[in-house]
Amino acid sequence: MSIDEPSLARLMAASQRGDRAAYRALLSDSGKWLARYFARRIAPHQIDDLVQETLVSMHRKLATWDHSRPFLPWLAAIARYRWIDLLRRQRDEVELGEGDAAVGAEDEVVHARLSLDRMLARLPAGQAQAITLVKIEGASIAEASQICGQSESLVKVNIHRGLKKLAQLIESE
Amino acid sequence: MTNGSIDNLIEDLAGELEPVRPRRLMRGSLWVAGGWLVGAAALLWLAGPRHDLADGAMMPPLPLLAFWLIVALGFAAAWSALRMGLPGVGRDYSGWRWAGLAALALPFSAVVMALSDGHAAMDAAHPENGLQCLAQGVFAGLGVGAALFAWLKGGAPTSPTRAGWVIGIAAGAAGATIVALHCASNDMIHLALWHGLAVALSGVAGRVLLAPLLRW
Repeated sequence: MSIDEPSLARLMAASQRGDRAAYRALLSDSGKWLARYFARRIAPHQIDDLVQETLVSMHRKLATWDHSRPFLPWLAAIARYRWIDLLRRQRDEVELGEGDAAVGAEDEVVHARLSLDRMLARLPAGQAQAITLVKIEGASIAEASQICGQSESLVKVNIHRGLKKLAQLIESE
Repeated sequence: MTNGSIDNLIEDLAGELEPVRPRRLMRGSLWVAGGWLVGAAALLWLAGPRHDLADGAMMPPLPLLAFWLIVALGFAAAWSALRMGLPGVGRDYSGWRWAGLAALALPFSAVVMALSDGHAAMDAAHPENGLQCLAQGVFAGLGVGAALFAWLKGGAPTSPTRAGWVIGIAAGAAGATIVALHCASNDMIHLALWHGLAVALSGVAGRVLLAPLLRW
């Protein structure tokens, strides 16, 4: 089944009325859409967890969708909130990513609004490079340090500051 | 996590589904109106209405203009806060900022007046002449603040920090409009300082106290 706005909006309206079959289909399609949405924003090993967190948030906030407005921007707002939350947690933990390169996803209007590349371009080069290497491409701090010529502590500081600024930029979008 | 665990989660969530009543801005607006009425009834019952208005007089033009500027700020902030409860990428929640900028005309006017009459300004700025209005403004805005907080707590504000600010500003502006129905002062410096401070203080309180509670 294709994931298109009118179909999703119909499924969502039925879900709000308590139609479990429609809701199952909506969650399944939303999960696929979210996996693509997050694929260009976070390390691959974190995608499934974040998709699940977002589906649970969607379930808890089901009543906040206004049927007179499109569905995907609503879903994207919830996804973005969970993404910012993840960035904040990462900033606090300065956790190290261990995954592979992020896979590409097809362009969509809502995706384009929040393109990570566009956000990273607004960070200082050192911060953007450290985040890209460690958080997106899954390099270790030591590997990132060698590749970009920054000391390991500077890589950590750049990740911390960059994620903080990134969260602020995303929130203000 | 695997696709299997996502499938299991979907089954669980679908199994829990109950019909939900979509949140409507109109309902939230009624809550806010109710909050304003409760705040107004409480303050006017405790402190009484201003005697000049009760006797049928009109506010002079400048205080009346100040009153409507604060009303506009309160409306814009409350509407923005209500809309923040229904998220959507690309939605614009910034209307309250323009009303806030317009309301800055009040402190600017007060500063100009203070420069021309420093003695009157010092007198108006004395806490004895305004602290009560400040406290009453914050108190009277609690109804609107509580209504907006309840609305956003059940909604999905995607920027709790901004939501905290806007709830506080809306509550403070609502409180300032209610105090204007009690406080008989027509002095612009008093209005800008003590009534305006209720808006600023409520905004800070919303940011500090409510923002952490609005995370979900």
